[in-house]
Amino acid sequence: MSAAQRCGACRHFRNDPAYLEAAIPGLSSLSSAAASVRADDGLCLRHDRYLGSDAVCAAFAAAHAGQSNGTAHHASR
Amino acid sequence: MSTTEAAAPSDRVRGSQSGWSEFWLKEDWWAIWLGLGIVLAAAVLYVQGGSLKYLAVTPVKWTSAAQLGQHFAENWPRYLVQFLFWLTIFGAALTALGHRLRDFVASFAGLYALSVAVFVIGQWTEANYYNIEPPLVALALGLLISNTVGVPGRLETGFRVEFYVKTGIVLLGATLPVSLIVWAGPVAILQASIVSLATFVVIFGVARYLGLDRRLAAVLGAGGAVCGVSASIAIAGAVGAKKEHAPIAITIVILWAIVMIFVLPFVARALGLPAGIAGAWIGTSEFADAAGIAAAQTYAGFPGQVPGIEGTGEQAVQAFTLMKVIGRDVWIGIWAFVLAVIATTRWEPAEFGRKPQASEIWRRFPKFVLGFLAASLIVTLAARGDGMAEFNKSVVPVLVAPVKDLRSWAFIFCFLSIGLTTRFSGLASAGVRPFAAFTAGVAVNVVLGFVLSAYVFAGYWTGLGR
Repeated sequence: MSAAQRCGACRHFRNDPAYLEAAIPGLSSLSSAAASVRADDGLCLRHDRYLGSDAVCAAFAAAHAGQSNGTAHHASR
Repeated sequence: MSTTEAAAPSDRVRGSQSGWSEFWLKEDWWAIWLGLGIVLAAAVLYVQGGSLKYLAVTPVKWTSAAQLGQHFAENWPRYLVQFLFWLTIFGAALTALGHRLRDFVASFAGLYALSVAVFVIGQWTEANYYNIEPPLVALALGLLISNTVGVPGRLETGFRVEFYVKTGIVLLGATLPVSLIVWAGPVAILQASIVSLATFVVIFGVARYLGLDRRLAAVLGAGGAVCGVSASIAIAGAVGAKKEHAPIAITIVILWAIVMIFVLPFVARALGLPAGIAGAWIGTSEFADAAGIAAAQTYAGFPGQVPGIEGTGEQAVQAFTLMKVIGRDVWIGIWAFVLAVIATTRWEPAEFGRKPQASEIWRRFPKFVLGFLAASLIVTLAARGDGMAEFNKSVVPVLVAPVKDLRSWAFIFCFLSIGLTTRFSGLASAGVRPFAAFTAGVAVNVVLGFVLSAYVFAGYWTGLGR
């Protein structure tokens, strides 16, 4: 599967820091979604998993053009 | 498919933070820019015969309200300048990180006012007699507000626990000579590695014995062994944990971390531990940087005030930082890489097709540590050629002390923010088995950390900085 089809470019994937801090209770109390240790992991809403943006799976669905700004970055990694 | 998927487009993906954009999209780098900017400014002013003293105003020690009133009557312009300074630099950073400046201004104004109040309470000459320690007052005050009247969500923009503690740790680097880090760093790494491995093995083993999922066991183990909430979220991503795993671990880490903020300093005090040993123990056995700094800063108020407590307050904070930051935090990338390899080769090799790469070690490296080391190097270079007497006479009061005072402010912002962002009713339900597994690790961690700090490596920690 190509780099463009990784989770970071999938419509089911969420890794915006503000979204993650709202979705994961307590994350901002003693840490932060903007911390380096989190890298660019995020939530897969298709499988309810928290995983790296470079993961891939058969349920990949490309995000709408105006919806994604992660594809190019991830593809270049 | 989850019903939560109907998120706004802007919630979807924040572009890759692994390339150059990391420099302005990660708070670790912003902590470096702000902390090193302050240290560099202090160093340049020192070389030119100036100082950051005007900016680094703090409340004076006081015994009467009249003394306090006189201090603020004379120095209110300095507080105004300092408030505007913090507002500007933190506001710029948080705006770049995607927060709304208007929300930040409102919340930081309140945070600064509360911080002044906490600082004033801590400077009361009788505070120590009544066990009134500023970190604990800040934490308790924040918890009281957030768990009773509550804080409007948009005002939380200014309560950035990690950002403040990382900025404070970068500033703390300026108070540690490079030679001290080189001397004590290997001991910190050795001690922390022993305790981290033992803690992880115990939590993981008990969790598996109790029938918990391997990924949850790993997320819990890392939270107890490495760096608390940050480790839990990092390992959750590395092993592809279920959505509910990280919140479970985070709830337990927060509960234990807050308990330890109150327990560790007062048990260490009851045992009469020298400041360096207490700091090393707290660094080994607390679960998060912010919580650990609160505990270490509390103990820093005891030497010279509590009979029988040897050492200096700085020793407690320095020993904690060396142990926690150098001994534990910097290894999170390696933990993540190793566990990602195990998860993808042994636990679920076919799922999600990830191939862990060694670059993960750097991607997850807590970059603010680089700022901590750079700050130490800058001050060491600025003071090169000065003997110890000259260093203590001119460098400390002119260069180091103002940076240390600004660090104290950053830490108070952090302590208040811990309380203000911790709403117990908003935390995820953890369950008995995860709590039991983590608690087994806490027991091993605390005892082993004490034995190593107070006996095996006691000579290093009591002699720190001498």
